[in-house]
Amino acid sequence: MQFYISTLLIYLFIDIMGVLGLNLQFGVAGIINFAYIVFIAVGAYTAAVVSLGPDYPGNFQHYVFGASWPFPLPILAGGAAAAVLSLVVGVISLRRLRSDYQAMVMLVLSLIATLVASNATGLVNGPAGLATIPQPLYDQLGLSPLDYQWAYAGWAAFLTVVVFLFVQGITRSPLGRTLRAMRDNERAASALGKGVTALRLMVFVVGGFIAGVSGAVFVEFIQAWSPGSWLYPETFVFLAAILVGGAGNNWGAMVGTLLVPVGFLEATRYLPAIFYQGFIEAMQWVCVGLLILLFLWFRPNGLFPEQPGRFRRRPLITGGSTRVPAVPVAPPAPVD
Amino acid sequence: MQQLIPAVGFGLITASILAIAAVGFTLQFSVTNILNLAYGDIMTACAFAAYIANQAGVNIWISLVVAALFGAVFSMLINRFVYFGFVRRGTKLFGMIIVTIAVSLIIQNLLLAIFRPTFFSYHASAGASYHLGSMVFTASQLAIMAIAVVAMLLIHVLLTQTKLGKAMRATATNPGLARSCGIATDQVIDVAWLISGALCGVAGVAVVLNTATFSETTGAGFLVPIIAAAVLGGIGQPYGAMLGALTIGIAGEVAAALINPSYKDVIAFLILIVVLLVRPQGILSEIAAAKEVTA
Repeated sequence: MQFYISTLLIYLFIDIMGVLGLNLQFGVAGIINFAYIVFIAVGAYTAAVVSLGPDYPGNFQHYVFGASWPFPLPILAGGAAAAVLSLVVGVISLRRLRSDYQAMVMLVLSLIATLVASNATGLVNGPAGLATIPQPLYDQLGLSPLDYQWAYAGWAAFLTVVVFLFVQGITRSPLGRTLRAMRDNERAASALGKGVTALRLMVFVVGGFIAGVSGAVFVEFIQAWSPGSWLYPETFVFLAAILVGGAGNNWGAMVGTLLVPVGFLEATRYLPAIFYQGFIEAMQWVCVGLLILLFLWFRPNGLFPEQPGRFRRRPLITGGSTRVPAVPVAPPAPVD
Repeated sequence: MQQLIPAVGFGLITASILAIAAVGFTLQFSVTNILNLAYGDIMTACAFAAYIANQAGVNIWISLVVAALFGAVFSMLINRFVYFGFVRRGTKLFGMIIVTIAVSLIIQNLLLAIFRPTFFSYHASAGASYHLGSMVFTASQLAIMAIAVVAMLLIHVLLTQTKLGKAMRATATNPGLARSCGIATDQVIDVAWLISGALCGVAGVAVVLNTATFSETTGAGFLVPIIAAAVLGGIGQPYGAMLGALTIGIAGEVAAALINPSYKDVIAFLILIVVLLVRPQGILSEIAAAKEVTA
């Protein structure tokens, strides 16, 4: 039981970190990153290969750049790798594309990343993935497995607090205000002299770093990672957490994490299998989809809406007017 | 070289399927302005509709018609009961894309829950093989290509020769003006979903006929090439989508033959990235420009 609770706590903290990173990108800055799970995955893979030790002939798994770096370094490496990837992806995809177009590109990126990781077997051991990733400081601490779990939960909690303070700092600072302005009206923000592209890129990289760290902390705990752990729908669990909690509100995002990935998905994982193996999992995904739709319909600002500023702001997802445009809303025609 | 010509043959088949799917995808986008990422899963649903008909003893080609009808009605209902409601509320473009993905998750996993995670195949024989030079086609593959050609011609006639087609093009270019000219845009939108759903159904069955087996993720796996074909052609442009499908289909199969079969989709992705970098509005760009795809 203690094992279960501590495991659940560790999952909770790690998911919170991930959700906070995505909330910074999506909720605060309005960047639609449907490939978020890829950055978590990159962080996880990086942390894995730099702590697994050098690959050798006859090893049961094959990977690039094996090393055995000491404790906090793999996590930083995971974050850094994800940040670098974010920079590359951001430079390519955060151009002035229509927002849904951009979202689609991200989704495709997520699909292809899984494909490449599964097929390039020399890179991170293909579809089987990496296993036996050492838990940090396990031998040095000399704790019993249960105590180690609690220690790890404490470590994850500590990192979560750091990430939260950092993200909350950004959200509340003048920078955060600029980001929200950019989200709500990009043209107005750039008309006021804000470098929109650079800001988006910066947020994208920071969010990517947080994703990488959360992936690294996760993989060092569960000790295994494979393409099956980061299929594209996983991003939508995080997104659902944000939409349920309240986009742009970090406290809301944390409550959303408690409710969706942890409360809902983890808790139902141990239901007895009815009908057949995999039925519950399929229904979980159906529920995630329904949850997203229902919240977008009934509470587009989530359970805990972002605190309104001095000006009443329009809902993030649905436009402000409840009046009925009789035709689909097309963007205004360009003025030549 | 020995591998190249048969690969082009496979490419033509893939391109035919892709053309049917991409034209449906892009036509619906041009009229409704919704990027429907549930398209691949609707394809799968149609494939399952045909599977049920086929299991009941119906000939596979009649099952294909069943799938097309099912796809048409299913797409229209999804629009009526889900998408349109959000559009009416003024949901923003990226909000809509979240909605379509939620629908995609729901459809895919409902299919998984109902049909269970295994592979399915139709009772259909591929028919005799025909050699054209060093390309080999089975009878059903030739039929798929014929269906694609007929579908493309029908779409062409619809768009250029009929009043409905003109109304669709008008709605695609400027919905407000189209309404002012007395075009019932709501009905036009319904028809666009019907047509796109029918094409989606045909493509869904064609994919399965070509690959022999399918599961609940078959259609979703086909979504990337469809998007790539549509974007390459200039999204919202049916003729562009045909060109895009031909390019992506053949390029993918040639790459599969020369490099590694599993990288077929990677080619589609690379083409997509390059197009977005160099020319986001695609080859034929009228509508894409009118819809401000590039910001």
